[in-house]
Amino acid sequence: MSIHCEDRERIFLDGTPEEWLELELHAASCEACAKELRAWQELSVAATELRNHQEDPALWTRIAVSLAEQTAQNAARENRWAFLRFGWRLPLVWQTALAAAVVLVFTLSGAYLYVQHQRTGNAGNTAKNPFLNDRTLAEVERTENAYMQAIDKLAGEAKPQLDAAAGSPLMDSYREKLLVLDSAIDELRSQEGQNPSNAHLRYQLLAMYREKQGTLQEILETKQ
Amino acid sequence: MGAVGLTLAAGHRISPLQRVGESRVQPSETGSFSSAGAARPEDLALAAACQRGELQAYEQLYRLQGARMKNLARNLLGTQSDAEDAVQETFLKVQRSIASFRGQSSFVTWTFRILVNTCHDMRRRRVRRKENATEETSADAMPVEVRAAGAHPALRLALERAIATLTRHQRDVFLLYEVEGFRHAEIAGMLEITETASKNTLFNAKKNLRQLLAPPRGSQLGGAE
Repeated sequence: MSIHCEDRERIFLDGTPEEWLELELHAASCEACAKELRAWQELSVAATELRNHQEDPALWTRIAVSLAEQTAQNAARENRWAFLRFGWRLPLVWQTALAAAVVLVFTLSGAYLYVQHQRTGNAGNTAKNPFLNDRTLAEVERTENAYMQAIDKLAGEAKPQLDAAAGSPLMDSYREKLLVLDSAIDELRSQEGQNPSNAHLRYQLLAMYREKQGTLQEILETKQ
Repeated sequence: MGAVGLTLAAGHRISPLQRVGESRVQPSETGSFSSAGAARPEDLALAAACQRGELQAYEQLYRLQGARMKNLARNLLGTQSDAEDAVQETFLKVQRSIASFRGQSSFVTWTFRILVNTCHDMRRRRVRRKENATEETSADAMPVEVRAAGAHPALRLALERAIATLTRHQRDVFLLYEVEGFRHAEIAGMLEITETASKNTLFNAKKNLRQLLAPPRGSQLGGAE
């Protein structure tokens, strides 16, 4: 095999040892190739000037410290989640049982929380909305009945006065007012029968009774 | 004067055959195991010890490759302190990601790949800092630190400046091949390129360096020749 000048760069790029040897032989008789070959090789020699493979024990000490620190940090991080890996070391049967127990606990907890929520929710609603619960309603009804009986008694006392003063414009006016009030009271009582928990109806009914009470007292005072 | 414009001491010239093919100085000659593409048993044993978290294994890796790692980092970053930071960061990254090492490449090759990437990250960060500080410096320029005088301080300085003007890949391949003595197969593994690309890049790097270091026309006053 004979090497020519035009083969030089190809050998520089990817020549075999045999080709390099032949190029060297060729360069002995070719000044241009000798110059290029020398320059090429001198770059490699010059590169060794950048080589300084001195030991540096101090750097290792620094690296060892940082490696130990990183190991400690990793260990601390892993410990935080170590409990999650506990299950993987158990046999499959125990893993299944553990999973079932976890599901059961979650289900029971969920059910308990749901029931509690329903209870507290009802209590909260009762406190907030205008509807009354059964016990309060019974108490209110009792008090209301007593109050109504008292008003009826008062009406009974005022009736002779109203009858005696028939034809008096004032008494006619009181009578008419009492009729309106009784009509309104009857209306409210019928609505209350359909919706006994509605506190608003009860407030209105109470207001009517108060008004009736006030009117009856005025009639009785007129008598005096 | 040398043909590349650098004066070499008499007798410093090397034989062409010393630098070609299999006859070039191999990394395996400087360490107890090779860093060739395929992992060797010693290499795998060291990697396995590192995976077990043995600090002695890291110490062995440092003892075998630390000096070369630091030298490469210094040539890539330009300063001793940056080089030390890069080597330290590389060891931390190796420890963090050793679990992902599957032995498909040499452990040393893998480590040097991390080192090269770390050096590039540090260079990028440095450039960004400089840009933030609005300093008028070349983005790719690297500081050249005065080092202990070698046999040819002027030669080394000229070469460092010339290398700084190469492209990133050319600089990496030249330093890994010519300075650190890795083979193209190993460099290909480190830089994630083909072996042919490594050879082409080295060829172009040397051509560029030859032009950069060539003496000005008419100034050849003779020397080593």
